[in-house]
Amino acid sequence: MVDLDRYLKPDQKYYTAIGLEGSANKLAVGIIRHFPGQLSESNRAEVLSNIRDTYITPPGEGFLPRDTARHHRNWVVRLIKRSILESKIDIDELDCICFTKGPGMGAPLQSVVIAARTLSQLWNVPLIGVNHCIGHIEMGREITGADNPVVLYVSGGNTQVIAYSEQRYRIFGETLDIAIGNCLDRFARTLKIPNDPSPGYNIEQLAKKGKNYVELPYTVKGMDMSMSGILAYIDNLANDLFNNKKNNKIVFNEDGSPKITVEDLCFSLQETLFAMLVEITERAMAHVGSQQVLIVGGVGCNERLQEMMKIMVLDRKGYIFATDERFCIDNGIMIAHAGLLEYRMLGEGFDLKDTVCTQRFRTDEVHVKWRD
Amino acid sequence: MSDTIIENAKSHLRNIQVTVVSQGAEAIIFQTTQHPYLPSSISTSSESLKFIIKYRPPKTYRHRTLDQQLTKHRTISEARILQKLTNIAEVNAPSLIAIDSRNGILWMEHIGYELANKDISSLKNWLWQFNHDESKALTNEVQDTLRAVGRQIGELHKNDLVHGDLTSSNIILSENSKAFLIDFGLSSQSTLNEDKAVDLYVLERAILSTHPLYSYEYNKWLLEGYSSVFSGKQETKLKEILRRYEDVRLRGRKRSMLG
Repeated sequence: MVDLDRYLKPDQKYYTAIGLEGSANKLAVGIIRHFPGQLSESNRAEVLSNIRDTYITPPGEGFLPRDTARHHRNWVVRLIKRSILESKIDIDELDCICFTKGPGMGAPLQSVVIAARTLSQLWNVPLIGVNHCIGHIEMGREITGADNPVVLYVSGGNTQVIAYSEQRYRIFGETLDIAIGNCLDRFARTLKIPNDPSPGYNIEQLAKKGKNYVELPYTVKGMDMSMSGILAYIDNLANDLFNNKKNNKIVFNEDGSPKITVEDLCFSLQETLFAMLVEITERAMAHVGSQQVLIVGGVGCNERLQEMMKIMVLDRKGYIFATDERFCIDNGIMIAHAGLLEYRMLGEGFDLKDTVCTQRFRTDEVHVKWRD
Repeated sequence: MSDTIIENAKSHLRNIQVTVVSQGAEAIIFQTTQHPYLPSSISTSSESLKFIIKYRPPKTYRHRTLDQQLTKHRTISEARILQKLTNIAEVNAPSLIAIDSRNGILWMEHIGYELANKDISSLKNWLWQFNHDESKALTNEVQDTLRAVGRQIGELHKNDLVHGDLTSSNIILSENSKAFLIDFGLSSQSTLNEDKAVDLYVLERAILSTHPLYSYEYNKWLLEGYSSVFSGKQETKLKEILRRYEDVRLRGRKRSMLG
């Protein structure tokens, strides 16, 4: 067992950390509290505040780095103020300020790092840089109580199957091209459906009304998968449907009436992509001999994905752990949580000159000191 | 493992005594002493006569149409590859005995043995025996075994076949230390260097995540074995595959990861 309290000060009753997240279109702030000792069933981390503001673009458009960064700059001070008020903490209580070091979009990451650095100097509190993916995994474990699961991390920028071994979260399978959330978002753009609250959520609602399954390519390569071909294929079907290309016999009947609907396309896309996800997760479970699955990341809120995963896991007599939108979608609390774990092992923060962010930062690059 | 799946399998295998060996990701592996065609009177309970039944159960989590299509496709393509491999002396793979593609059932020759800790002798389990003990994990024996595995993959690729799911659990060692490739469900015939490179990359990553402590040496030896089977004229082919392999690796590493 790793000792998490080697740097506990004599009169310290708890640790408090604030986390700032802004690697994509969500700006989020969270404040967390740990009590000394191992985190366990009887010693859970306490969420003091967990708020976010999402930059939403008009239908048919994605979020551009420059505009997203501007959104974050505009809102970061207000969000931090609100979070501090909500949590009722004193600034003096803060042990560290945690920020997303990466991976993510450059400009949004930078605007949040600047806010974190400013606060660190203003309040004289150490800074901790956190890997976004590790944040998701650690928060998922903390909230669900899963101790050593195979982790399926699915979001707008990531699709990874991860398992822990030898102080690292190792990537067993991942996408070979685009991420699952990206695939869904881009299809939502083709369909010109709203981005509010999120494109994936709106696809999920449409998919519930779909009935006909349209055959799509299915591309699993070992524990990896590929999605760009599927997206191109289904984009074509949708465009043919919209442009009334009657000679496409997959989309139209002989008499020229449409064979399939937008809902059917959403349904088929979800069924195919999620079947691939569940399959690679099952492969990883069999390979490492694990009985637990934890789903994290924005796409992890999808109820159909959770349902499919549950069926697979029950067939293996295993356990599934999933969280809701508060912790699945990017949030500040996970950054605070993972950062605080790191802080408890370090006893200090980064030097200001090392508090940089990076667009590319793989999950398996992080040395997980707080687990054995 | 869910009992209904086993009941399901047994309903397709009437009057055949089976025992479960393992539950893989997409299939359940049974073992039996009965041959599908020979009269059961011939079947002996002797240990030497054993057969493997690989059953791909319906996956209820996915859409029925998709499920049936995948099960049928994978069972048939695995059978075709196994059949092809019987004609390729250099590649060790179990020989095919029978196929029931609609129900997703394959009968194969039994290979491998039980390790000291009762686990099946897959490369993964064999290597895991030596984990945390450098004096055992990096011996000449391990080196020779991994080179032999590399040669098997090289021979497979030389014959324009790709495995599609190379991991250390999909390689079985026999008692005389021969390496067998198994699980050809995702295999295909391909002349593309890209597919072969992805095959190598999938293996590299599997070794990295499953055997992290010695992955550098293991991957090096695998690749040495792999390269050694390409000789003469084929060396240019090897160079092209390896160049592509570097490309694939770079793609995997440098891919932008947002969100």
